[in-house]
Amino acid sequence: MAMVPDRDEPRAGRPETEPSPRPANWALAFDLGLRLGISVALGLGLGLLVDSWLHTSPIFILTGMVLGIAAAMYTIWDVARQSMGR
Amino acid sequence: MVHVEIAAEKLFGLGPLAVTNSMVGALLASIVLLFIAGRFARRSGIVPSRGQSLVELPIEFLAGIVRGTGGKRWRQFAPLILAIFLFVLTANWMSLLPGVGTIGLAEKASDGTPVIVPFVRAGAADLNFTLGLALVSFVSFIAFGVRANGLRGYLKELLIAEPAYMTPLLTPIHLISELSRVISLSMRLFGNVFAGEVLLATMLALTTATLFILPLAFVIPGIFIGLELLFGLVQALVFALLSMTYITLAIAEHRQHGTDDHHSVEAPEHGTASAPGAA
Repeated sequence: MAMVPDRDEPRAGRPETEPSPRPANWALAFDLGLRLGISVALGLGLGLLVDSWLHTSPIFILTGMVLGIAAAMYTIWDVARQSMGR
Repeated sequence: MVHVEIAAEKLFGLGPLAVTNSMVGALLASIVLLFIAGRFARRSGIVPSRGQSLVELPIEFLAGIVRGTGGKRWRQFAPLILAIFLFVLTANWMSLLPGVGTIGLAEKASDGTPVIVPFVRAGAADLNFTLGLALVSFVSFIAFGVRANGLRGYLKELLIAEPAYMTPLLTPIHLISELSRVISLSMRLFGNVFAGEVLLATMLALTTATLFILPLAFVIPGIFIGLELLFGLVQALVFALLSMTYITLAIAEHRQHGTDDHHSVEAPEHGTASAPGAA
């Protein structure tokens, strides 16, 4: 059994289907919402860690939050770029 | 009483290693996959039998998607993506078999209530399993990126922004965004499968324990088991496709900046990353 088809043309007797990028775009859409929240939470968490380590609260919490929100926006741009590139 | 533990329960210890019921679930999924692969690898024919067609169906389906979106290097990572897909799919669907999550040892919880510690639990209902898979995916897309662009090219792309004076601002943003991929991959799969376990347990308990009406006891859990079959497939597909997308981007992204200190790489078939200026 060929685990991965070793050719680009379909098997004889099976209908030829045009490869579509749509499933990968759906997966990216599934991913986007969660990544936005995680980016902000990661920024906040890292800021909290640094603040508790250096006793500088709330400087790094705020910095982390801003960076997290910026990372979320960057993620939107990144995903849109990937999807439109297909 | 409905009782679903969020952490996998320890069954026994092998030296320092605690063997949990989700590890048993993952191991069983691996054994099933190995058995099917071994059986059909030996008996495969040019004209496929019904069984062979059934086994080849998900493989050809996903291979078609990978071929369509994975660029010219799709053959390099297609086996990895297929393995992830089949493993997650088998582990998800195995959790719907009778006995999984329901047959186990009767023990007492910390508050004294009797609970069942199942012998087998869905692999993906344990964050360790999903985080491990997400790390495999993460390491793979870094490795493919380094292989395609060279270590220098990859690090330059990851750590140095364009224009260079924006590096102190954009590098942390880029790193947070990269890290969020691993957490998102693992949390999504874990959240969906664990929520499915809780939902099924609740529906079974509602329809059999509190208001036992014979048709409801079969029909309502049956509907939710059908939905879980669909969700298991969708989650396996999403995990595999996201891993593929990340690998494709790691290979393709860096070419846009003309880093000439790496191996020659051909342009992707479908231009997975076309815009310049990634941080």
